[in-house]
Amino acid sequence: MALTDQQQPIRTEEMLLNVGPQHPSTHGVFRLVVKISGETVLDAEPVIGYLHRGTEKLAEDLQYNQIIPYTDRLDYLASMLNNYALCHTVEEALGLEVPERAEYLRVIVMELQRIASHLLFIGTYLLDLGAMSPFLYVFQERERIVQLFNEICGARLTYNYVRVGGVKYDAPPGWLDKVRAFIPFMYERIQMYDDLITGNEIFLRRVRGIGVFDTETALAFGMSGINLRSTGFRWDLRKNRPYSIYDRFEFDVPVGEHGDCYDRYYLHLLEMKQSLRIVEQALDGIPDGPTLGKVPKIIRVPAGEYYSGIEGARGELGFYIVSDGKDKPYRLKIRKPSFVNLQLLPDLLRGRNMADLIAILGAVDIVLGEVDA
Amino acid sequence: MWNWATHPISGLSFLGMVIGAVVILLLTLLVVMYSIYWQRKLIGWIQLRIGPNRVGPFGLFQTAADVLKLLIKEDVIPSKADRVLFLIAPILAFVPAFTVLAVIPMSQHHVFTANVSIGALFYLALSAITIHGVMLGGWASNNKYALIGGMRSAAQMLSYEIPLGMSVVGVVLMAGSINLNDIVIAQSRSIWYFIPQILGFIVFMIASTAELNRTPFDLPEAESELVAGYHTEYTGFRFAFFMLTEYVYLFAMAGLFATLFLGGWSGPFLPGWLWFALKVFLYISIQFWIQATMPRMRVDQLMTFSWKVLLPLALFNLVITAVLKAVV
Amino acid sequence: MSKETQDRPNASAVPSSASAPPSGEKADAEAKAVADEKPAADEKPAADEKPAADEKPADGKPAAATPAQEKSAEEAKPAAAAKPAPSAGTKPAAAAAARPAPAKKAPPPPDPRVEAAKAVAEQIRDVIAASLGQEAVEEVGAAHHTPMVRVRRESWVETVDLLKRHDDWKLNYLELMAGTDYPNYIEVVVYIQSTALGHFVCLKTRTPRENAEIPSLVSVHPGVNWEEREIYDLLGVTFTGHPDLRRIMMWDGFEGHPLRKDYNVWAAKEDTDGTD
Repeated sequence: MALTDQQQPIRTEEMLLNVGPQHPSTHGVFRLVVKISGETVLDAEPVIGYLHRGTEKLAEDLQYNQIIPYTDRLDYLASMLNNYALCHTVEEALGLEVPERAEYLRVIVMELQRIASHLLFIGTYLLDLGAMSPFLYVFQERERIVQLFNEICGARLTYNYVRVGGVKYDAPPGWLDKVRAFIPFMYERIQMYDDLITGNEIFLRRVRGIGVFDTETALAFGMSGINLRSTGFRWDLRKNRPYSIYDRFEFDVPVGEHGDCYDRYYLHLLEMKQSLRIVEQALDGIPDGPTLGKVPKIIRVPAGEYYSGIEGARGELGFYIVSDGKDKPYRLKIRKPSFVNLQLLPDLLRGRNMADLIAILGAVDIVLGEVDA
Repeated sequence: MWNWATHPISGLSFLGMVIGAVVILLLTLLVVMYSIYWQRKLIGWIQLRIGPNRVGPFGLFQTAADVLKLLIKEDVIPSKADRVLFLIAPILAFVPAFTVLAVIPMSQHHVFTANVSIGALFYLALSAITIHGVMLGGWASNNKYALIGGMRSAAQMLSYEIPLGMSVVGVVLMAGSINLNDIVIAQSRSIWYFIPQILGFIVFMIASTAELNRTPFDLPEAESELVAGYHTEYTGFRFAFFMLTEYVYLFAMAGLFATLFLGGWSGPFLPGWLWFALKVFLYISIQFWIQATMPRMRVDQLMTFSWKVLLPLALFNLVITAVLKAVV
Repeated sequence: MSKETQDRPNASAVPSSASAPPSGEKADAEAKAVADEKPAADEKPAADEKPAADEKPADGKPAAATPAQEKSAEEAKPAAAAKPAPSAGTKPAAAAAARPAPAKKAPPPPDPRVEAAKAVAEQIRDVIAASLGQEAVEEVGAAHHTPMVRVRRESWVETVDLLKRHDDWKLNYLELMAGTDYPNYIEVVVYIQSTALGHFVCLKTRTPRENAEIPSLVSVHPGVNWEEREIYDLLGVTFTGHPDLRRIMMWDGFEGHPLRKDYNVWAAKEDTDGTD
């Protein structure tokens, strides 16, 4: 009797759990169907498309400058970079020359945007891990950046600032000094986050050795940005395929060692410092002059196909344009880093538990506006 | 001193009990209301916010307004829920939380509380019943998040009950009594026990945090993982009951903490009840401070920590205490 | 079609003569149409590209960024050897022709970067032809400044796999996959980077619009899984051999493929299953 009882293990059942689309940690309307046994994830299937707005289709009926506001709404935490990515491709296609001052202003706003986006990553990531305060702290620095953006283009989230051939507005008087004043402040705050968060034992135990993948996998899955760099692979389009005027600045590309969530978190901190370096140099080198080049009223991209990618906040952000010579693109395809990076998620989750699920998903750093386009 | 337990119940003494219970209930509600207010204010300040400041002067009536809102909300019972269990779970959780307050000596003379000779044991035994309420609530909701939350909290509370109990035993050994009032008196004669019982004090701090489901051990209601944990499906006053349970326990645990390690109501100059209030306030504030600072642990680390670190530590403390007690 | 372009590879500066103008050609008259449109199509890109072509060196000098630029050139193209050859010859001519170009109807001189890209594309063609036969490659050219090779759809997976493994190419990092609906065919394009050697290449294949079907690349580059699902969803191309071909952006009950040019929202059914 006792023997048979022992031979018969407790009957357990797997359970399908819908994480999302309304869930506090999915950063938007992302749904993950997880098959769990107890708390162990056996399988996970991401379901996306809840925020699909058909940006690519809409763009086919819009003139190039009209598409820019739509790019604002892709990765809404890094709108400046999206603006630039589109304009960059169109400029490449047209062979347009962009005034020097405009290029410098672009670099400044893009790097500030990168800092703002990385800051928010740190805040939300710690929030996912159960620490609420960092989330509210990062909003202070972000607020300063957003204020700077507000002053230069009149918007706090969807900027529509970078235009084909330059930028819409010149910096208002005193703006560059405000940016300069922001730099030491930000260095200090980065140091503060490093002190407060990086050494926390609970935090380290949650992120070290979690969600590990190697360079081979990352490349095979087309991952880019910090996700790729965390595996120790030095790949940054600002260095590897320089665009704009990034070849004039000195900065490093920090890489991780283990390819785990900790590396991905820490690279965000390090990259903010590098961005500050770039902003510093750009402020030193910015010349006077016009901010918008000679661009025809109606932009007609010559027939052909064009692709160019930039280093976005979350990875390679690219626009592929097929033009038939008209003023609207025949086809616009967006290379969305979040979308591509997200594919590896099920592989990372298998065998981990529910708490790791949040840690891994948070570290992959997706923005649903971009995933769903 | 007159004792409830040793005298036969007469109509008058019964009335006395009822009045005592009502007074304690009102007191508890007041404490809970203002712990929540203080929590929101303190965490607000830590996070560079203002905190509630709209309802009443300095937002003092904010919690009252929130409770009122909860009370007039619709009481939703999911159609697939196990109705009976769903309804009684919040009560099952709340009753022991309130009952344990009966043995906490809030002042020297036990005006409204019972001077039970097995106080410490009574507290530990009753507080364990709450687990049933939480687990049944999670199970009866018929919601997967609630189920995971309920299971997590059952596992967690059970695991941490043991080191908590062990750390209490250390104090009991030193004082030579399970009566909480005697423990306070023993401390007032010698020294507050958090110094000789420093190991037990640390274990108690950690285990009680886990027992209360507070950060960094707030896994059962880990918002980012489980939405709201075991009370995901609860609304209105049933939800309020769960919240009430949580904060009453905070108060009770703070009382136990003050009694066991900080000399309870004893202290120079000030009246006993004020000393008690100050010590309770200290404990509650520390909890809120930790809440604003720490990320959350992972569930398997939580268990490992309890069984492999806290329990041996508590046992070690117990042995040391026993040996010292025998030698000295 | 393919023969024609191969025969005169350096003839024009059009970024991509075959894929570009979808404006109303018929498949049977394709060659003719291209020939007809050539002058018209040529002048616009030429006029716009020319300034860029000779400004690049001029830009680099005063800005004290020459080391960086050299480095990037080194990294970017081992095929740089091929680059000086055409550019040395054409640059003066390009500079001379740059200003009057908009006014004149004369065929403008080719862009050196496009020429370099085409030269690289030729090399890739040879590599593919050596392993998979001459008929595998349907067209070579340049997609703007990127070498472009169009392969037939039967050899699609083999080609990508070959270039991924080939020691001289190692195209291991697939950056972009996009599908485009043209009037007579659907084209799928991938941009692949070699992280070791610095090549950046555009590969294409085509499928008819009816029963559109292309072999799946997931076995070679697992990262195209979702991109292929997206193309399947929005353009209606079936990727044979795909492990999990389902709709990704639209819901399962959705009918039609929105990115097709003939998709009409108003013609589609008002409400399909599972809208919420």
